[in-house]
This record gives sequence, structure tokens and C-alpha cells, in this order.
Amino acid sequence: MRLAEITGAIQTAAGRVPRGVYAVIGFAIAAVFPLLNVAGVVETAWLRVGVVSLLFVMLSLGLNIVMGETGLLNLGYIAFFAFGAYTTALLSSPKFELQWPFLAVVVLSTLIAMVAGFVIGLPTLRLRGDYLAIVTLAFGEIVRLTIVNLQGLTNGPNGITGIYPPRLLGAEALEAAGSSGAAAWLVVDKPIEYYYLVLACVIVTSVLLSNLKNSRVGRAWNALREDELAAVATGITASRAKLLSVVLSAGIAGFAGSLFAYYSNVISPESFLFMQSVIVVCMVVLGGMGSIPGVIIGAIVLQALPQIIRQAAGAARSDFEVYRMLIFGILIVVMVIFRPEGLLPDKLWRREAREVDPRELEKTRQSLFDLEEGEKDLEV
Amino acid sequence: MGAILELQGVSMSFGGLKAVDGLSFDVNEGEIVSIIGPNGSGKTTTFNVISGLYEPDAGDILLKGESVAGLRPDQVHDKGISRTFQSLRLFTNMSVLENVLVGMHSITNAGVIASMLRLPSVRREEKRMYDKAQELLGMFPGRFSGPRQSQPAYSLSYANRRRLEIARALASDPALLLLDEPVAGMNPAESHEVMEQIKMLREKGYTILMIEHDMHVVEGVSDRVIAMDHGVKIAEGSYDEVANDPQVVEAYLGKRAAADATA
Repeated sequence: MRLAEITGAIQTAAGRVPRGVYAVIGFAIAAVFPLLNVAGVVETAWLRVGVVSLLFVMLSLGLNIVMGETGLLNLGYIAFFAFGAYTTALLSSPKFELQWPFLAVVVLSTLIAMVAGFVIGLPTLRLRGDYLAIVTLAFGEIVRLTIVNLQGLTNGPNGITGIYPPRLLGAEALEAAGSSGAAAWLVVDKPIEYYYLVLACVIVTSVLLSNLKNSRVGRAWNALREDELAAVATGITASRAKLLSVVLSAGIAGFAGSLFAYYSNVISPESFLFMQSVIVVCMVVLGGMGSIPGVIIGAIVLQALPQIIRQAAGAARSDFEVYRMLIFGILIVVMVIFRPEGLLPDKLWRREAREVDPRELEKTRQSLFDLEEGEKDLEV
Repeated sequence: MGAILELQGVSMSFGGLKAVDGLSFDVNEGEIVSIIGPNGSGKTTTFNVISGLYEPDAGDILLKGESVAGLRPDQVHDKGISRTFQSLRLFTNMSVLENVLVGMHSITNAGVIASMLRLPSVRREEKRMYDKAQELLGMFPGRFSGPRQSQPAYSLSYANRRRLEIARALASDPALLLLDEPVAGMNPAESHEVMEQIKMLREKGYTILMIEHDMHVVEGVSDRVIAMDHGVKIAEGSYDEVANDPQVVEAYLGKRAAADATA
């Protein structure tokens, strides 16, 4: 048997399993992973890698809405992450002596990022392709430079330190009741606790987004990407639908930014470089634009793999970080040549990348055969 | 039977070229009106002006007495004018079914939050949309049955793409359907079938304005025919009246040939 036949057979077999099963398995593995740390098999450092990877999963899920669904390139995406992170840092740190409740901070961080998305989206969404990419790139840089220079609010390049850990709903009440031991349980300050907090957020986000994908709103986005003129002539208000996707993706980035600020305890403009935007774009492209499982895999591969390689290379190659971007670049070039649709592609993008999808053709042939008209020519 | 669509002195020019020049006509409810004319006579521009892709330089367009001139295409669509394109514009990577579902965008209203949570109202709406799509695709018996609905639109034959575009345009229950050359590129058997289907649409109460070059189809379905040349209406009436109008013959065949024909 040729290799193509073997992989084809595997794909057919894999295609028979409902997608939900894979999702449950994937999330179950993610949920079990920290227990290895508890059992002493893996070091706590790996839990930290896990938390950051999950935060990037969240970012990729957000960027996927604009890039994968609506087809708009955003090269300043990390700015929305910064909006969320700084909102959280200001509302929950010694900087202004504030410690707002966790829920209020997260919601407000998300909303502020959404407002930023609205403000940048409104004037720029008339632009297309390259122009939009340039404007969003500039937006990302403007936000970063503003953070660096707005010393009074952001402490400039020094960043904001000492961000208080999140206290989940009820922690205050328990403390007031005098049971500080129980209250300590509700304060998220250990890596494992952060891990589960972020994982829960990722699961909820991906479920909500996959519902949205297969809805009227998701289809409108896809239609706009496929053929804007036809979409508009079919009653879709392009500006509103595009703005909605930009605002929603900004909100998810802001949400992720808020969790990031809580987790990292210290934030500074260095976390919001242009390179970070590019990395998130790479995660979406590598995983498969428009595909929720795809971008999750893409984010994990690009975020966790360098750490694993670094660990494997060990002391021998302590300068691995220098080569990281080089490897990224090569990986993306290889992907674009050999598998442009991504690791776990969405069906629309698979069709986009390969005019005829052999799997789909075979499936249709098979089911047409079962129908009465199965003998008729497929082409008519 | 009142006029659904009224064009009043509509003009549209591109630079120095007057593509449509003071065009006026009505389309009555339940009627099928065809626009004929040589290439470049302004037929498609007329369609683009009506459907909101262009804003007319002068004149007004009334849908059921309400002006739609200058509205955005999606607003015009919301008012009840739906169209197909001469150069097929399907969402080619989306499936047959999805194409029709997108066509229902303006008559459905599931919002972002409701869709994310997949509320019961959203599920009911999706079910209704699915049933309606089956009904629409069922108008073309055997063409879009069963597994074909999950096939991407690009895998369809040319004739089926045209059929799908019609189904998508009908998905929003339009008050007026604009068909831009519905049988272009079809063989005689296929165009005859589409003709029968257009007649069936009239029986269902749809009002249709179409551009068509195939005179057999124009003759077969039109209640009224409008002939255009150089952006101007040169004749209007029944098929026979228009087809024998000397100006129309001249527009198609040139002056000398027209003289020969009448001589």
C-alpha cells in the first residue's frame, strides 16, 4: 500500500468518530496534565508552560474570529491583549491601591478591549487586505509606544508590579465569616490553580465559539470572506458584521490579557511587542484558519514546543532562544508549501487550499450510491 | 395589480459614458418583465442601480411606493429586492445548503450572544431555516438532493450553480426577484427546464425582472418586454410588439440590415 492510501485510510477511520469525542479527549488530557505534577512526575515549570500555552490558545481563538472566519488580517492583535492586561493591572495592584473583585476586573478588562476594537475597527474596516494589515500593525505599535510613554499611568518600561492574585467569588464573604483557611482556597495563587482557571475559561470560550461558528452570525462572516459583493447583495451588512467580529476578537484578547496580568504578577510593554502579534498569527495559520481545534493545536505547538526543545537541548544549547524565530519562520514556510490549510483544517479553508477535496468527493460518491439516483452522472 | 417597482428617469454615468440615460418603467405585482438589448446597452447597470450597488446620478427608484435609490445593497435587499448575478457569485467553498441559509440572513435574527449559547429560540430558528432550505432546493427536483447539499458549491455543474443562485435569492422571500441572464451558458434542454421553473415561480406569486439574451426564454415567460440600447429604453410591450419593432431590429442588426428586413 502506498503511503497516501494508508494515511487516507486513517483519515477515513478518524472521520467516523464524532468531533465532540476528540474535544472531550483533548480537554480530558489537558485536565489530567497537572495531576502529573501533583504526582511528582513533571516539574512545576511545565505547569507554567501549560498556563502560558493556554493563554495563547485563548488569544488564537480570538484572532481566529477575524482571520479565519471573516478573513481580515490583524497584525496588531496583541494591543487588545495589552488593553486587557493593563486594565487588570491598574484595578488590582498597589499602583492605585485598588483591589477590585476578580469578576468585575475581568469583565471590565474585556469591555475595555472591546471598546478599543470598536474604535480601531470603525474607521479601518473599509480597508481591505494589505491596507488593513498595515493599519492594524501601526495600531499595535501606537498602543505599545503609548504604554511606554504614559509613565504616570503605566510606569512606562518598568511596568506594573505586584498585581494581586484573583480572589474568586465568595472569598471575601468567607474571610468575613472568619474562616480564612477556606478563603485561601478561593484565592488563585498557585500555578496549578491558575492552570485550571485558564483551562476552564478556554473550554467555555471554545464551546461558545464553536456554537457561533455554525450559526447565522458565523455563516455571515464566512459569506463575507468568500464573496463580499454577493454577501452584501444577500442582505448582510458588511460593516456591522466585520465590526462585530473585530470587537468580539478584541474582547477575547482582553479577557486573555486580564488572566495573563493576574498570572504573571508583573506586566511591562515587553510582553506586547509586534513579534507577539506575529506569533499569534502564526499559531492560527499553522493550526488551520477557521478551525477551532486547529488553532488550539497551533497555539500549543508553537508555545510549548520551543520550551520542550529548549529542555531537550539543555545546557548544550542555552542560546536556543536566538534560533526560535528562525525555526518559526522555516516552519511556517514549510507549512505554507506543503499544507497551506493548516494542521487541523476547517473544511472551508481546506477547500480554499485544495480545489477538490478527495475525502469529500469519496464521501459523496459513497452516499450517492445508496440513493436511487446513484447511477446518474455526478456532474449533471 | 399595482406597480411593485417604478423607475423614474434613472440615469447613471461612468465618467463621460451615460450607461443608463433617463430610464423609466414599471414592474407590476406578479408580472415577469424581461429586459433585452445588445451588449453594453445598460441592462446590467440598470440591475446594479436597482439593487443598490450603484447610486443613480438622477431619477428615483420606488419599491412599493418607497424610494430605494441610494440605499446600500443590504438595505435594498432588506426592503425586498433580491438578485442573481450574470457572472455567478456563489460562496464557492461553502456548501449548497449553507449558501441557501446565508440567503435567509435578512429574514432571520439570531444574535451573537443567543447563537453562542445556542438558546432554544436559535435552535428553533435553525430548524425552520433548514426546512425552508429543503423546500427551496426541492424546487429543482433531483438536483440538490441528500448528500449533494453538503457538497461545496464549486463542485456543482454550471447549470446547477445557476439554480443554486436562484434558490439563494429566493430564500429571503423577496417582493421582487432580479435575474441577470438566468440561462446564460446552458444548453437548450437546461434552459427549457429553467424556463419552466421561472413560470412556476410566477404561479407561486413571485414578481420577476430579468435580463436575458435567449429569445426563446424571453418569449416563453415574459408578460412584458423592455428593449434597451445605449442606456435608453427603445421599446416596451408584448414580446411580439418588441421583437418586430424597427428600432429594436436596428439596434441588434444595424441600420442597413434593418432596412433590408423591413423592405
